[in-house]
Amino acid sequence: MVTLKYVLIALVLIAIGIGVSLTLFQSEEKRVKKQFYLLSEGVSKEPGENIFTMDQKIKKIGSLFDETCEINIPAHSVSGRLTRDEITGYAARGRLHSSELLLKFYDFDIAFPQQGEAKARLTARLTGKTTTGEAVNEAHEIDCLLKKIEKKWMFSHIEVVEVLKK
Amino acid sequence: MAVNKGIRQFFFPSLTPAFLIRAGCVALLAYLIFGHLLTPFRIKGHSMEPAYQNGGINFCWRVRYLFSAPKRGDVVVIRFTGQRVTLLKRVVALEGEEVEFRDGRLLINGKEWNEPYIHSPYNWSLSPRRVEPNSVYVAGDNRGGPMQNHFFGQTSLTRILGGPLW
Repeated sequence: MVTLKYVLIALVLIAIGIGVSLTLFQSEEKRVKKQFYLLSEGVSKEPGENIFTMDQKIKKIGSLFDETCEINIPAHSVSGRLTRDEITGYAARGRLHSSELLLKFYDFDIAFPQQGEAKARLTARLTGKTTTGEAVNEAHEIDCLLKKIEKKWMFSHIEVVEVLKK
Repeated sequence: MAVNKGIRQFFFPSLTPAFLIRAGCVALLAYLIFGHLLTPFRIKGHSMEPAYQNGGINFCWRVRYLFSAPKRGDVVVIRFTGQRVTLLKRVVALEGEEVEFRDGRLLINGKEWNEPYIHSPYNWSLSPRRVEPNSVYVAGDNRGGPMQNHFFGQTSLTRILGGPLW
């Protein structure tokens, strides 16, 4: 009877341990996802956005990246290791050419290959309008590497996966 | 009176074990059919007009290519990371074939290929290229405007989710 009691206690403790570790793992994944949602907020633009909001959003985009980040987006002729200032410069120019933008991320596949590193593969969809009235409608599969720096996940590598090869 | 009771029973059924089992079976069946067999999707964009109009709703028949490979002329659903964002394109060349666009004409292995689904003229020119093994070459039906603005090319067979139901 006593043995059964200890077995039950051990099972409960194991279940709690698994639950806690799963919760912690999920929260780390959620933190990584949060960085994508912040990036989405920074890139997205509503019609008639004022300069103050634009400035805030550009700063927000810059704060999500490591000091330098390897970016490879052939469709937009962006390639190489860029500094935060260069990234915010690209973002600002891209937003200036658009009257409205909406960036959304789907189908996250996040893995943690080693301590302090997160690899994410996902689909990004960008919709909106340019200032000349042309519709923007793009979807890309993206591979990202994020590094944990001072308890914050920062983008360190972003690469567009070629789904259709011309 | 009996009709009223029947209507009431239809909208507010008694939560009997038999009803719960039936409801569970319906939910499971709906999940299996619409989640894995016939996944619904909405068409956003004009790349497959006039066959598939912007805003149209369709279903991806996931088992279409379970036992056979896509044929030239088939319309296929291509996935990115997952299945929430997909592409709808037409297969224009198969593995090992040489594909070329010359002054708005499709050439397969150097021979002009008739495309009855194209309703508006286009002026694409793309040098010949061979389709890699386990891949197909896809393009949209609406080829108006510059070639650079279109999303087409070869993709792996593993990315093909299925075909539209109609």
